[in-house]
Amino acid sequence: MFEFIADQRAAIAAVFILTLLLAFGVSIYIGRKEYRKNGQDQVFGDPERTKGGWYWSLCGVSALLLIWFYFSWGVARAYFPNAANELCQIAKLDEALSPIRAVLPIGSRSYQSTQLVARNGAQIEALRDSMPKQAFSRDEQQVLELVIDDVQSLLGLSSDPDQQSPEVAAQIELLSQELRAIAIALDAGPSAVEPSAEALAQPKWGATYTEIPLLPVTARGILFDQLSQDAALLSDRFVTLKNIPPAYATRIPLITQKIEALSAATKAQQFSDADVEARKDYIKSLDRIFNRLDDGSIFPAGSFAPLMKVFQELARAQAHAKGSLKVIDALFVPGAGVVKSRTQCSEQGSGRWLPKPMDVVVTFAELADPDVEDGGGFKGTPLLWWKWLPIADVVAFVIPDALADLWAGEYARHGVDGKVQENTKDRLLALAQGDIDLGSVPALDGHLWDSLFRVLVAMGLGILCGVPVGIYMGVSQFIKGVLDPVVELYRPVPPLAWAPLILTIFGIQDDGKIFLLFMVAFAIMVISARTGAAGTQLSKIRASHSLGASNRQILLYVILPNALPEILTGVRIAIGVCWGTLVAAEMLAGTTGIGFIENVARTVSDYELIWVTILIMGILGLAFDLIMRWVIQKTIPWRGKG
Amino acid sequence: MKKTKITAAGLTFAAALAGGSAVFAADTVNAAFFLEWATPNQIAKVDKAYDKAMGVDVNWVDFSTGVAMTEAMLSGDIDISYSQGLAPFVTAIQQGAPIKMVGIAVVYEANNCFVRNGLGITSSNATELEGKTVAVPLNTMADFAFKSYMNHLNVDMAKMTIVDQAPADGAKSLADGAVDMACIFGGASAKAAGEVGTPIMTKAEKVAAGIGSFDVISVTEKFATENPDLLRTFMEVTEESNRAWTGSDAQVTKVAADAGMDFETTKAQMADFIFPTAAEQIATFFNKNGIAAQAAASLGLLYSNDSDGAMIAKTLDGSYLK
Repeated sequence: MFEFIADQRAAIAAVFILTLLLAFGVSIYIGRKEYRKNGQDQVFGDPERTKGGWYWSLCGVSALLLIWFYFSWGVARAYFPNAANELCQIAKLDEALSPIRAVLPIGSRSYQSTQLVARNGAQIEALRDSMPKQAFSRDEQQVLELVIDDVQSLLGLSSDPDQQSPEVAAQIELLSQELRAIAIALDAGPSAVEPSAEALAQPKWGATYTEIPLLPVTARGILFDQLSQDAALLSDRFVTLKNIPPAYATRIPLITQKIEALSAATKAQQFSDADVEARKDYIKSLDRIFNRLDDGSIFPAGSFAPLMKVFQELARAQAHAKGSLKVIDALFVPGAGVVKSRTQCSEQGSGRWLPKPMDVVVTFAELADPDVEDGGGFKGTPLLWWKWLPIADVVAFVIPDALADLWAGEYARHGVDGKVQENTKDRLLALAQGDIDLGSVPALDGHLWDSLFRVLVAMGLGILCGVPVGIYMGVSQFIKGVLDPVVELYRPVPPLAWAPLILTIFGIQDDGKIFLLFMVAFAIMVISARTGAAGTQLSKIRASHSLGASNRQILLYVILPNALPEILTGVRIAIGVCWGTLVAAEMLAGTTGIGFIENVARTVSDYELIWVTILIMGILGLAFDLIMRWVIQKTIPWRGKG
Repeated sequence: MKKTKITAAGLTFAAALAGGSAVFAADTVNAAFFLEWATPNQIAKVDKAYDKAMGVDVNWVDFSTGVAMTEAMLSGDIDISYSQGLAPFVTAIQQGAPIKMVGIAVVYEANNCFVRNGLGITSSNATELEGKTVAVPLNTMADFAFKSYMNHLNVDMAKMTIVDQAPADGAKSLADGAVDMACIFGGASAKAAGEVGTPIMTKAEKVAAGIGSFDVISVTEKFATENPDLLRTFMEVTEESNRAWTGSDAQVTKVAADAGMDFETTKAQMADFIFPTAAEQIATFFNKNGIAAQAAASLGLLYSNDSDGAMIAKTLDGSYLK
């Protein structure tokens, strides 16, 4: 099925994109028309104005999806299925040339040699200033000064074009010509070479774990691929190219000799431990800079001029050879584009962390596949499915084991015949531990259900406990006085801070996670119920009182309905926060749940899975919110009109 | 209309700033390291020996996971990751991250899986772990060690309840009796778990079974190509500080302070560490089919069935050690 989707990608994407564009356009058209019709009649701030307006929701959603399609490179992959492969070949050429480019002021502000001269020059100056005078004799200090001068002079020698051996210049010239040949080949364009069978057999872009097919499948790709191999050879040669001026031949042995003599003196003569340490450190630092300079990686500033010129030509030729791909690259592949690493080509930028919609659908389908034996689900648990739940387990949950312990008599011992004769106490224990067969009932199972279960139970408990407490806090001085400090003290603490404590108190089962979510829900419910109860108009309470209402009646028929809008808003907020806390709760000891999937996916940077979990949580949150809005609409239609 | 223009200009400016910082990158080298993971080069780090030798500022950033190190390297914020676990390195390579391994930071005994005392389970009756609950920080080197032990001891992992827990949480759950075995990395957490549990395999058994781990020094391809001299000096200073390591109290105290651990834990942790010399690394780790290539290949297969060991081997580069 997924192969079919992959093959028909362009058609499916076309339908989607056209639908979205149409929805976007039509929604704006309808919206404007509706506004012209009704908009002028309404007063600013009138809550009636926000009613309806489905077209604006459509407008927002379609715009969001279009942005997603575009920035995830979904559009590029649907319509230019070979673009990534071609960009990969270009990236290969870039990678092959990168050692040469690194020494030139391309992508940086100066030649690498300039940086080296500046950095090493500064280090030599710093070394000169930091000489530990107490550790060296006066004569040695003079020698050191001379050595430092000598080392410094290497900077001058290597930067001087007159000191450069003619061979080096000739080699650079030769390399430039060979690089120019690459530019000429790029200008000439691709020849009619067929892609290899191996290349054609590669899985398509995004079809497998390896994202982008590495071997070239188009004529243009083959051209770039071949040239990148040539360029790699040139780069290998370039890296071995060293600028060793002839004058080095006499100077280097001299410096080496002096440094060795100083080291020898450290060993031969008697110094204090601190002095030995200081001498060794200083000589080592000097030797390090010297070793860096004598390997000839600094070139005169002008010597790379031919290379610089040929790189400009290469850039132009590359742009020319890229042709239409340039437009695709610029328009449809936002971000850092395709980058070649050692072993493969990968998408970098938004293409990497924002998975394509189609891939998200496929990942979701795999996750939702209840066949866990065959790679469905996640870590051996389906996303949302059902299973036979033994009734005995439910019974065992209700009956504590201690009940069996309290039963009169002793547990059975094994007899002389090597068998165990069960007695009533044993059978009771079996019942309390769920070890008997009472038949099974179908029950929901899976990561999604586990998460839902935790949130719903926590919410239910939060409402059941939080609302009465909140309302009584709104009407009773005693309860307010007692509970106010407690609730207000723990409420601002982020749930994650409780997490380690809860792990120790409750262990790794569901109860700890539910308690964490309950604490969040409870605080919100208390605050909202209390605000609602305290906000009841005094005139209403007095009116009902004077009509002879009892305390109970005032509470049930005046205060509770008055607090209801606040309470229901509280429920909406609490559900949202509970989903947010769920990821933290399931991080504590993850076995199942949406938050667990997200935590594991994060450790391997599986962006598709991360986005699937984000979308599942988002959609569930939205669904709950829509339900709550409907409930609000039904139960308190008078809200905002009092 | 005017407002949009200003916003657009602001965005361009922000983009220019973001791009600009990359150009200046060579003035500071950003290196990642772990807390609670004591290594001799922390002396060089504290003494600013790296900064002095390289001639640039080395900015050390502490991370809690190797995956985060990879992410930071991909976004361009980190150039060198010191002591990244082999597991996150290999998973990064499998996803095509442009990074490579240039050295071995530390070779250590594979992370321990502690069985709660009182259960009476050792390597000889390890199959009794089936049906038990195990805390494992998934996709880390501790996970790799766990899988290696279970494979070696013929324990069916499908029959265990595996709980994903960070080492500190795992140690706590082991102490509380919520889990029966906990696989742990990090000195302080391992010490806590050792109070209430016993490693499933002893040091000698691990060596006999060939189960070991090592952390690597990884760098971005970009940094290695553009600043080979800086990288070479970095490796050189690391090598020097490893050679200068005597384990004296003064040294341990210095490292302990930087690693965020107490003296005793640091000393115990480092006693089990081996820091191979550059020559050893070249000869036994980075040679063809060397330890690095073999370990990376087998680890890759543990996480993905179609992992190609030869491909991962291409990202190992010992040339900066010379």
